Amino acid sequence: MPDATGTAQPKLQGVPNAGDVFGENTPYGVGGLGGSSAGPLDVVHVFWLAGMSCDGCSVAVTGATNPSVEELLAGSIPGLPPVVLHHPVLSVSAGAGFTRAFHAAAKGELEAPYVVVVEGSIADDQAFPPDEGYYSAMGAGGFDPESGGSDQPNRMTDWVVKLAPGAAAMVAIGTCATWGGIPAAAGNVTGSMSLGDFLGQDYISTLGVPVVNVPGCSPVGDNFTEVVAGLLLFLQGIAPLPELDELGRPAWQFKETVHRHCARAGYYEEGTFAELPGDQECLVEIGCWGPVVQCNITERGAINHMGGCMVAGGACIGCTMPGFPDKFAPFYKAPPGSALSSNISRTTGAGIRRLRRLSMAHANRSPIWDRAGEVPSAYSRRASKPTTVSKVEGFFYKRLQYRGTVDLAKRNKRQPQPKTMNFFAGEHEQDLARYTPPDPQAGEGAGREEL
Amino acid sequence: MCFKNLPIEFDEQGNARLIEGVANPYSYETKELFPIEDSPEKLQKLLERNGHVRRVDFDPVTRVAGALAFHTVVDLESRTVLETDSMATLFRGYEIILKGRDPRDAIYISSRACGVCGGVHSTASALALEMAFGIHPPPMGIVARNLLLSIEYLYDHPLHLFLLAGPDYSEPAVRETNPALWDRAVGATAPGRAVHGFSTIAEIMTAMTPLTGSLYAEALHMTRVAREAYVLIGGKYPHPQTIVPGGISATIDTSDMNEIGIRLGKFFDYSRKVVAIYDDITEFFYDADPEYRNIGVRPSNLIEPGQWDDPFSYDGTFANADDWGRKRWAPPGVIVDGELVTTSLHRLNMGLEEFVEHSFYEEWVPGGNGNGHGRDIPFPTDPVGNPLSPYHPWNKETIPKPGATNWKEKYSWGTAPRWDRMAMETGAYSRLWAAAQSTDYGHGKFIEPTGHSLRMMVPQAGMPESVLEWHVPEVLGAFERNRGRAYAMVYSALIAYENLLIGYDLMSKGETATSVPYEVPQDKRIGAGFWGAGRGFLTHHVTMDKGVIENYQIVTPSTWMASPKDPWGNPGPYEEAVLATPLLEDYKTPEDFKGIDVLRAIRSFDPCMPCTTHIHTDDRVISREVITCACGVDDEEHSHEHAHV
Repeated sequence: MPDATGTAQPKLQGVPNAGDVFGENTPYGVGGLGGSSAGPLDVVHVFWLAGMSCDGCSVAVTGATNPSVEELLAGSIPGLPPVVLHHPVLSVSAGAGFTRAFHAAAKGELEAPYVVVVEGSIADDQAFPPDEGYYSAMGAGGFDPESGGSDQPNRMTDWVVKLAPGAAAMVAIGTCATWGGIPAAAGNVTGSMSLGDFLGQDYISTLGVPVVNVPGCSPVGDNFTEVVAGLLLFLQGIAPLPELDELGRPAWQFKETVHRHCARAGYYEEGTFAELPGDQECLVEIGCWGPVVQCNITERGAINHMGGCMVAGGACIGCTMPGFPDKFAPFYKAPPGSALSSNISRTTGAGIRRLRRLSMAHANRSPIWDRAGEVPSAYSRRASKPTTVSKVEGFFYKRLQYRGTVDLAKRNKRQPQPKTMNFFAGEHEQDLARYTPPDPQAGEGAGREEL
Repeated sequence: MCFKNLPIEFDEQGNARLIEGVANPYSYETKELFPIEDSPEKLQKLLERNGHVRRVDFDPVTRVAGALAFHTVVDLESRTVLETDSMATLFRGYEIILKGRDPRDAIYISSRACGVCGGVHSTASALALEMAFGIHPPPMGIVARNLLLSIEYLYDHPLHLFLLAGPDYSEPAVRETNPALWDRAVGATAPGRAVHGFSTIAEIMTAMTPLTGSLYAEALHMTRVAREAYVLIGGKYPHPQTIVPGGISATIDTSDMNEIGIRLGKFFDYSRKVVAIYDDITEFFYDADPEYRNIGVRPSNLIEPGQWDDPFSYDGTFANADDWGRKRWAPPGVIVDGELVTTSLHRLNMGLEEFVEHSFYEEWVPGGNGNGHGRDIPFPTDPVGNPLSPYHPWNKETIPKPGATNWKEKYSWGTAPRWDRMAMETGAYSRLWAAAQSTDYGHGKFIEPTGHSLRMMVPQAGMPESVLEWHVPEVLGAFERNRGRAYAMVYSALIAYENLLIGYDLMSKGETATSVPYEVPQDKRIGAGFWGAGRGFLTHHVTMDKGVIENYQIVTPSTWMASPKDPWGNPGPYEEAVLATPLLEDYKTPEDFKGIDVLRAIRSFDPCMPCTTHIHTDDRVISREVITCACGVDDEEHSHEHAHV
């Protein structure tokens, strides 16, 4: 660090290869294996800049499997060039060995196309006078070491400014980089903003696209790796540019609301709602914003098609949306709009639910049981005789169901009963007496009859 | 037990009080720093002595989470480190964003403090809110939290062992920095080959190579297996969507339990393998050169907040925190010079302070230097009357003050947390250590503390049942940190399994509720959540009034360890560990020097900077000028403490 007085003083020499623990001649990122230096498209470099970030997007990406990070890096996907990834969490080299390629790209000397991925919001660091502070930095010593200038930390915004003009694409990953996210929430003192807002309306990459936005806090890992794969296919001239919506999101991932594919959406339709966290019904009344949030996690799952917020029981807080978090806060409180819509669904749902229960009771009897007028299995103590209402409903239901086609109900009526039913009759009565059969009504929200 | 440096004494009943008659009990004097590069005379002398004194910067330190830079001055001739400066280069202001918000926002916002261990943050936040709201989850809610925590560790430990720290022990790194060591590894039979399947140490090193190595790929895969289990009840990862005050917002059914159980079995076998690998790697390096024990060595001063609550004991109150804390699967503990000095959460909390002399923040105590005790601070005592410092998180204010980086003044966005004014280390091994030395460990189904070790019975899965025993290390350096992390994986898997069994039992009893109703209180409330991350200590401290957060403070593992110097000029743990590191790398000229030993030392702590800092240490001779406490009731207190530890 320079002395406060700025007077010249003896300086310690550095060492040129600190951090190059894999040797100074190894590729300075990770990956790129199997590529040669014959042509620029044999490898594509990806520079990962983590600004006002929690690294959660990086972690989400290490969980991706469609494709996985290692598949992208090894170039094992047909048609895709191997990727050399320069990532602070994964790269083998540290310090100057790590930033060497960043500097080369900033100077236009990389001699290979590169994509920049930004994770985290962009702090208002460019508003500081040079060398008088920062909120987010990587590396030190400025961008022109020959000039012997400052050895203050290099601000992340400086890197973005240097790397954006030559980038084939600028990809914002996660809600911080796409919209501002939590660092830009009410009360922030860092002036945080999104990558797109920082670069502005006039920015386009060398491929001719504005910032590509893959939101989510954290995003589904596959959403990101599949976009990278799509961009690489486009770079290779194999596939069209991935379709983006009006906010730069991958259109196929974010066109639907998360509610439409929600495992609990059916409860909403039937007007039954969770009262406490842990209940199995629709989560709207304990703070779920899913019906108005664009996200695919209930369809795609969180990792390897498993999990997903509402699938597990967590209410959606809108973490993929530009309004996150303040337009969805306070959390755990029902969205105001739900007061109207959930009461409508309560009213219509009550009727729908009752009709469905009748149909289910019908569907829960095999034709053999219908003919026998009972359940001849070990569950026979369960009263299974159809009620008058269900008989009437069943009559019309069957008429409608088989109209214009074969009437299977009629055919089943004529079917003889199997001769060897009830083979162990009487032998296990004592054992069966201990077993209480489950209530078939319990599983369909019937417990909420008072609604 | 007595605080050696804080002005706190204990009466016959063991109640803490400030030593009487001290006007400003928490006051201190600040020691000036004299960095080599800011002292032309010092510098001239070193340059004259030999031509091998070099400035070596690692900016950024990679294969750590978040923004860490490390500055060193090394003497390449004597192979010693003369000066170290650790710097956290990121500030996002989460504590300020939380201030003035509805407390219900705290869980999901604070989760985003860290994307490597977000689940831990959200749970620590839920615990703090529960203490403030006066609620606690039903047993199944606690079991679900315990499962989530263990599974989060099962993702986190392989990530550290093979993706972040591991590559420094892989074939390309060893060949590049110590070719002779590689030759030795080629001829070295691996003692654990029956378990891990590698015949020689060299084969293990090859398998640890990034991307192409089988152990690297397997670890990446296993982090996914763990996360699959996590999202079944967490919804997503790293920021789970089911953590609520008073429990868990997850509908746990038979499939969830089954799919978690299946994955835990895989971790029983994987843990056996990883322990064998790290035992072999560690012993190989020690055999090759005993000096490897001193890579990253520092005094065994550790702090551990404890985690995994007993489903039938945790009641969320501060008053009973000592009791429910000790009943955790990992009991809280403070370890000084290798010995457990307390398992009391009250005392752990009482000793906490955070200093900002060398951080980009402003002092908040009126008058500075600890002179503002008494009526000037919000909480002179905790809810049960124990004294608190003006620098305690409940009294701290976060006032950022960005400025130029200056080794002498301010150089990091991290604060300097201290316990009893000492720099403490924390990690997966600190919880093994506290458990190993605790005498009233309450969960002996698979885990047995012996005082000097932890015996763990790993049930049969693909491999037969086996007992793995972690020994409290005599000297704590980089290799023991990594080895401890490997054993911590077994520990986590066993605790997950025991909680799964308790969960099955609760299901069979029909006790499946996972949360309780609550109202946001409108009066003045205070709360704290103690819940360690994969890499160690984590606390959230909250104060609220009129249904709004008044203050929110987070202390993370890397806040402790990436700490810059404290007011007395004492280095933080990374700085201290690198200062003690011998440079065993093979180099002839400064151009050959790569710094592998320094990087191994730093990475063994598993730095995770998103919720932390930037560091810089200067003086090798550490002197302390703190108020000395006249420990009048020390002996009595000590015996009292022994009843617990």
